[in-house]
Amino acid sequence: MSRNVLAAIIVVAALVLQVTVADRLPLPGSVVPDLVLLAVVALALVNGSLPGLVAGFCAGLATDIVPPADHTIGRYALVYCLIGYICGAVAGEMERAPVLPFVAVAAGAFAGSVLYVLLGAMLGDPRARWPVVSHVLPLQVFYDIVASPFVVWAVLRLTRRAERTRDSAGLDPVPGFHRAR
Amino acid sequence: MNDTRRTRAVLGVLLLISLAMITIDYRGGDDSPLSALRGFGEAIFGPIEEGATAVVRPVAGAVHTLTGAPSAHKKINRLEQENQRLRAQLRGSQIDKRRADQLDRLLGASGTGGYRIVPAEVISAGQGLEDTISLDVGGTNGVKPDMTVLSGDGLVGRVTRVGPTTSTVMLATDAASSVGGRLESSNEIGIVQGTGRRAGSALKFQLLDSTVVMEPGQRIVSFGSEGDRPYVPGVPIGTITKVERPSGSLTHTAIVRPFVDFTALDVVGVVVGAPKKNPRDALLPPSPPTSPPIVTVTPSARPSSPAKARTPRRPKSRPAPSPTSRG
Repeated sequence: MSRNVLAAIIVVAALVLQVTVADRLPLPGSVVPDLVLLAVVALALVNGSLPGLVAGFCAGLATDIVPPADHTIGRYALVYCLIGYICGAVAGEMERAPVLPFVAVAAGAFAGSVLYVLLGAMLGDPRARWPVVSHVLPLQVFYDIVASPFVVWAVLRLTRRAERTRDSAGLDPVPGFHRAR
Repeated sequence: MNDTRRTRAVLGVLLLISLAMITIDYRGGDDSPLSALRGFGEAIFGPIEEGATAVVRPVAGAVHTLTGAPSAHKKINRLEQENQRLRAQLRGSQIDKRRADQLDRLLGASGTGGYRIVPAEVISAGQGLEDTISLDVGGTNGVKPDMTVLSGDGLVGRVTRVGPTTSTVMLATDAASSVGGRLESSNEIGIVQGTGRRAGSALKFQLLDSTVVMEPGQRIVSFGSEGDRPYVPGVPIGTITKVERPSGSLTHTAIVRPFVDFTALDVVGVVVGAPKKNPRDALLPPSPPTSPPIVTVTPSARPSSPAKARTPRRPKSRPAPSPTSRG
């Protein structure tokens, strides 16, 4: 399976899970984690900035048109595209700093939420008012960080497995890993 | 090096596309050319959402059970009591097919009010700051934009977009939603404004007449829009919990606790046929005995409200159902 197909599947799965499950969870504070943003961050960390920003744009556009979306089309596309680019740009440092995925997720979640709200404020969206935002933003970032290990782990694992099956004909990425078979 | 250049170029192009889309969609408003994209999204994701909801319903149910265990216990007690009462009623004389079930209460409400409804299930909820849900009914079921959505407890919201088999509903708690409301058993009208479900689901109510005094405990029903779209009259909205007067404002603002639990919506109804006659306060639940006496104080002497005389709060006999209201 090619990387792009896998990325598309991950984005669609995250989006469907987001609107059918996560957004309806009665979590404390009635705020939920943004699984799509987390999937974009994870994909960017794994695949780099160009695939990251394309995945971000596509995921954002899908989020903009998936029912029951009711905001100006293009808002999430812009935000996720930028987040995908930025997280992909720092992905090269992953080997040197093992905590980077978590820092990137936290920073990405914060930046994404702030950017989305700012865009809303610029467009005069009545939902992006301070009392609501001040309540939602910290909780949102907190939930994103809590949910991030699971999403990042799932994406990493899926990508690695796809690569292993592709590479198994040639060189093993981990020497001796497949010798048992 | 070349790769970075290409990345930047793609980034620039995609950002420009996003900005262009935002501009076009924002400028175009409701009939923007990009709404075709949303129709596309409805056609693609609607069936996926319906399927996914069917699969994940047990999961969501389990989470609800966990987080709602303490209140569920209370609810079970209450429902058992209600069950007993209903059984007694049933044994007594009137054979009422009303069960202690969400859908049946919904049909009951529509029967009392004379609304013709299409029952629907919630299949997904909006992301981020918006309070929207999508339902598993659409244009093929007779749903059109700007129809009222209610549950057995009260007002849920209004339909904003309709796809072939799904429709999008803006909840009354959404910050962009405003509903005309009327104080129970009076003719005082005002505007019910959402503050966001994510920010605690409270509603704000502002009376148009600043001289009228509101009391905690008073209840609000929908006033009804012109031509019954988007809101039909007489749907219960909520109870006033607090009245405050912001400094520098001429009007009082009441904080309203909605009758509907917006975090646990499941079965709702879309009103496809408005009542022939305004049901006034008929749909409100019987007032709790602990609430303060409901007095509408107006400075000017006002003849007793005709609403009080015409419709008792709990009519023994249902108002003659319109020929269309066959639950």
